[in-house]
Order: sequence, then C-alpha cells, then structure tokens
Amino acid sequence: MDAIEEKEIAIQVKNVSKSFRMYFDKGHLLKEKVLFRNRNHFEMHEILNDVSFDIYKGESVGLIGKNGCGKSTALKLLTKIIYPDSGSIEVKGRVSSLLELGAGFHPDLSGRDNIYINASIFGLKRQEIDARIDEIIAFSELGEYINNPVRTYSSGMYMRLAFSVAINVEADILLVDEILAVGDAMFQTKCLNKIEEIKKNGTTIVLVSHSMDQIKMVCDRCIWINNKKISAIGDTADVVKKYLAYMGRGGMIETEEDGKAVVKNYKIESYTVEMFDVEDNDKTVWHTGEKVKIRIRFKYDTEIFANVRMEIVRLDGIKIYSEVFNNEGIGYLIRKDTCLELKIDSLNLLMGKFYFMLYLIDEKENVVGKIEPFAEIDVIDSVERQGMTYLSCRCSMEKTLENI
Amino acid sequence: MKEIYEYKEMIFSLVRRDLKGRYKNSILGFFWTFLNPLLQLLVYTFAFAVVMPMNIENYYMHLFVALVPWIFFASCLTGGARAVIDQQELVKKVYFPRHVLPIAFATSQFVNMLLTFVVVFVVLLISGIGIDLVKLCVFPLVAFIQYFLAMGVTLICSTISVYYRDMEQIFGILSIGLMYATPVVYSLESVPEEFRNALLLNPMTTIIVAYRDILFYKRMPDLQMLFITLLESLCILIIGWCIFAKMQKRFVEEF
Repeated sequence: MDAIEEKEIAIQVKNVSKSFRMYFDKGHLLKEKVLFRNRNHFEMHEILNDVSFDIYKGESVGLIGKNGCGKSTALKLLTKIIYPDSGSIEVKGRVSSLLELGAGFHPDLSGRDNIYINASIFGLKRQEIDARIDEIIAFSELGEYINNPVRTYSSGMYMRLAFSVAINVEADILLVDEILAVGDAMFQTKCLNKIEEIKKNGTTIVLVSHSMDQIKMVCDRCIWINNKKISAIGDTADVVKKYLAYMGRGGMIETEEDGKAVVKNYKIESYTVEMFDVEDNDKTVWHTGEKVKIRIRFKYDTEIFANVRMEIVRLDGIKIYSEVFNNEGIGYLIRKDTCLELKIDSLNLLMGKFYFMLYLIDEKENVVGKIEPFAEIDVIDSVERQGMTYLSCRCSMEKTLENI
Repeated sequence: MKEIYEYKEMIFSLVRRDLKGRYKNSILGFFWTFLNPLLQLLVYTFAFAVVMPMNIENYYMHLFVALVPWIFFASCLTGGARAVIDQQELVKKVYFPRHVLPIAFATSQFVNMLLTFVVVFVVLLISGIGIDLVKLCVFPLVAFIQYFLAMGVTLICSTISVYYRDMEQIFGILSIGLMYATPVVYSLESVPEEFRNALLLNPMTTIIVAYRDILFYKRMPDLQMLFITLLESLCILIIGWCIFAKMQKRFVEEF
C-alpha cells in the first residue's frame, strides 16, 4: 500500500453525490411550464451517494457494476459533462474521452479539416495539431482520401478517422466507455493494442466495460459500484471475482442496510395487453420475423422506480429469451396507472406456443410485481425451420465448372 | 476565462467550420449570405422610398449601412437561441468550456457581417458617396462594441432557450419589435424630440447611428455616446457570461 501512496494523484473524487431529477412528464416549453404547473413535479433519483476514490497517475482503472449502477454517471462526472450535487472532483491534466467519436464532424469538409475541428474540441492548440496530423492520418489508413469530404466516407472510414483523432490526442487521462464494443474484430484488436501502447506511455486510463475480459486485460485496479456506493475497490482480479460472485447470486445480499427484511406486498392489478403488428392489428397468431409492439396497461398500488424484465417461455417450459430494461440506468417510474410499451424488431421465434412474462424489479433486485404470463401467442412458420430461434442462415454453392 | 483562452483553437475551428461549410460546394454560397440583406434592402427601399417616401437622399444607402449591422444583431438574438441546443449531442458527450459555443456563434456572425460590409464599401464607392478614410478609423471601434453586445445577447438567449424551448419564437418577435425601436429604416432626427431619449436607451441605437455617421454622412460619431454604449455592452456581456456560467452546469440534464 505504501508504494501506491507515494504516487501522484491524477483524479481525486471526494464525497461525491449525484441525483437526477426524474420528471413525471416534463414540459420543455415556457407555455407548458406556465400552463401546466402540476406537470413539472419531479422526484430526485439518487445515482451516487458519498463516493470517494483516488486514481493515481499512470494507472489504469476499470469501473464495473450492473446496468444503471452509476458507472457512466461517474465517468461523465470525471469529464465534467455533468457536475456533482455535493463533493468535489479534481482532475489533473488533459482529459480525452472515447465517449464520443467524431464530435463536431462536418460532412462537407475534408477529413483533414475535420481532424482540426475534432482535435480542437479536445482542447488541442493549432501547433499541437500540426505536429500530430501526419501521425493521425497514418493511423487512420485513409491515405489520399483524407482530402475528400467526410460525407463520401464509408462508415468504417469515418470510424477510423474519428478513432485516430481521439487516440492521438495524447491526453494525460483517457476515459473509455464501452467503445471497444464497436467495430469489427480487427478494429477492436487495433483499439486494444493502441490502448496498451498508451498505457505504456504513462497515460492514466479509466475504462468502463461489461466485458470482464477487457477489464482484466487493461486494468490494474478496479472499482465496483453498486447501490450508489463503492462495493469494492482494489486489485482487478479480486474485485472482478467478487462482482461475478455477486451477479451469480442474483442480488440476495441486499438487506444489510435496513437490518430487517421488509416484504413488499404491492402487486400488479387489472391489466390489459395489446399486441400490434406493423399495421396496428391486434393479434395472437404471428409469423416468424414479424415486428411486434406490445402495450401493457396495469394498475399498481404505489409509485416506485423499477426495471422491467420481459421473458419469453416456450410451451415446454424452456426460457427462450429474457431481457432487463433499465431505462438507461434510471428505471421506469411505475405508477397507479402505468402503460408500458415493448417493441420487438423481429420476432425470431419458430413454430410453437409461447408465453410472455413481465416482471418489475426494484433497485434491490426484488421482484415487486409480475404478470405470468401477460400474453400467450402462437407462431406459425415454414416446416423447414426447427429449433428455438430463427438465425437467418443462407446456403449457396460455389460456382465451379461442373455446375455452371 | 483562462480555460476558454486555451480552447481558442476550438472557437476558431467552429467559426471556420461554419463559414467554410456554408460557402463550400455551392457557387452561390457566398451569394446566399448577401441575398438576405439585399432582399430586405429591396423591400424596405420600396416601402420607405417609393410608397412612403422618407425625404432622405440616397435612402437605399442610408438604409444599407444600418441594415447590415442590424441583421448581425438580429441573427444573434434569434439564431443565438439555438447556439447550444443545436450542439446538444456534442455537449452531452464531450467536455469543453460551454462558453465556446455562443462565442463561436457570435464570432461567425460577426465575420459574416464584416464580409457583407465589403459589399457595402463597394456600393459606397460605386454610388459616388465615397469613403472617408479618417472617419473609417472609428469603424473598428463601433464594430467591436457591437460584437461585445451581440455576444452578451447570444449568451443570454442560448441559456434561456435550453430551459424554455419556445423562447426562440419570442426572440423572433422581439427582434422585429426592436428593429422598429432602432433607427434602421428611419433616421434618428425624424423621431420626435420627446421619444428620442427613450430610443437612446437601446444600445443598438447609438451603434446604428454611429455606423451611419461614419459611412453615410462621413462625419465623426458622438464618441461620448459611444463610450456609454461600450459600457452598456460590456455590462450585458458580463451579465450574459455570468448567467451562462451559472446555468450551464445543468445543461446536460435539461436536454
């Protein structure tokens, strides 16, 4: 421990708390604010509560936690995109973030012009950009295309250019949020290699990721945020182990704060469900690959913030699919009268009977309401396909002399 | 302040992006910028020189030298409201001193005005009114006073409209009203004595009158009045700066 304390602090977070205002129905216009005053009620929703940590110069730190635990909020606080309600954050040195690639790109201007704009948004001075421009162009592998307008670029070229700028800013602190999930495998490898290189140069790195592999690969230390607080901080391997153990247990260790377990008896009452296809027909028999819109109205005896989990179970009891929706970490405000809308872009179920379930999950991972099932549908499909889900496969034959 | 100075390159490149983006890829690009003042010039000249004659010699020129700076001010009032909202994706994702956005907006409008003034100078020479080079020395002073004022207005408008999106409409109406509260289409002398002082409360009045003195009448503007206007403009700039600095912390949560 002593060795670490001698190091220079790059980021100091002290007793930081942050809440967001959750509006029930927010009006953005003066007209609305004046005429419908009662619509402007909001509830404070706390994301971080009295969080403190230090990050030392030259180390790379991972931020982990389940969806909506406040990781991204923490990262945004570090970049000063948002400000804490209380507490202080001190960041020493230039910060570059891979939160937004291609910030401020103008489609009509050339790649070269855009490098200047983009780099200047990261706070570089003209001479600094001049000194780096060749390196940036080389990294982007754009070659002579660099003088063409950006609107003529393919999305891959666009990404390469944007990434080259962000990574070549040579910041003292680099913040990365899930960005490594974008792009093909080649590009990801290139990203990781570059990050490794930057790390060797002594840049402080803060990485938010759900991929424990990436975290283990890049980070020396790890911070696990849970329930507005830091649950664990320290050596990456230890923290990741604790985190995975917790996630595996499905959130059973919550009651320590209250001391006693409070059983909530709230439940969903009198619900109605409508399932529409693209043409807004309400139906119960579907074809594979259709677009589905589900509207569920129900009554609930209190008001809480909850995540929504949808599950699809086949007649034989096999769970085909399950997803938790957390409204970007804030949860949904469940009220006396709630109307949820779920959308499925492509119903990739094969022939059979399926049940749709809905669960409301509070911040402590308790199920505080459920409808089992809220819908029962039949899916019709051609007999050629069998199994669990539709996987969009193709078969073709290479053209050889024999079969032409 | 110091931090914004460090980000001056960003201001320059945003201004360059705006100007270049506007003029690139269209031969008419440059022309479009002048089309707006020219059309307004045409309409007002028809209204106030033909339909309701004002008894001002070379009325179109009398109007032209005032209309160009007025359009600069009005665009900061109405367009400035969008300076932050339009860049919300950027504001949400990247940190930079937020002041950069309204400053860059006002600056790009300012550069536009200066470019339009080149046309004004050409017309002055062609029409035979000519340019008095000595009096022209005061021109940069007037232009900078207006620049400060416009920047202050942009800071205020851009802040308010993040919180109240429909204020843009109101700013539009306000700018039309203000135009007639400023001697743009008429001359200050034609205003009855008892209203004249009320008009002078509007800093744009002194600025427009000064432009007209320098370019149209080729006489020295009232420097004392200009000095007061400079103070007024700086006041508005500082107020705008402080309001912006206070409110910008919650911008991201308001989007």
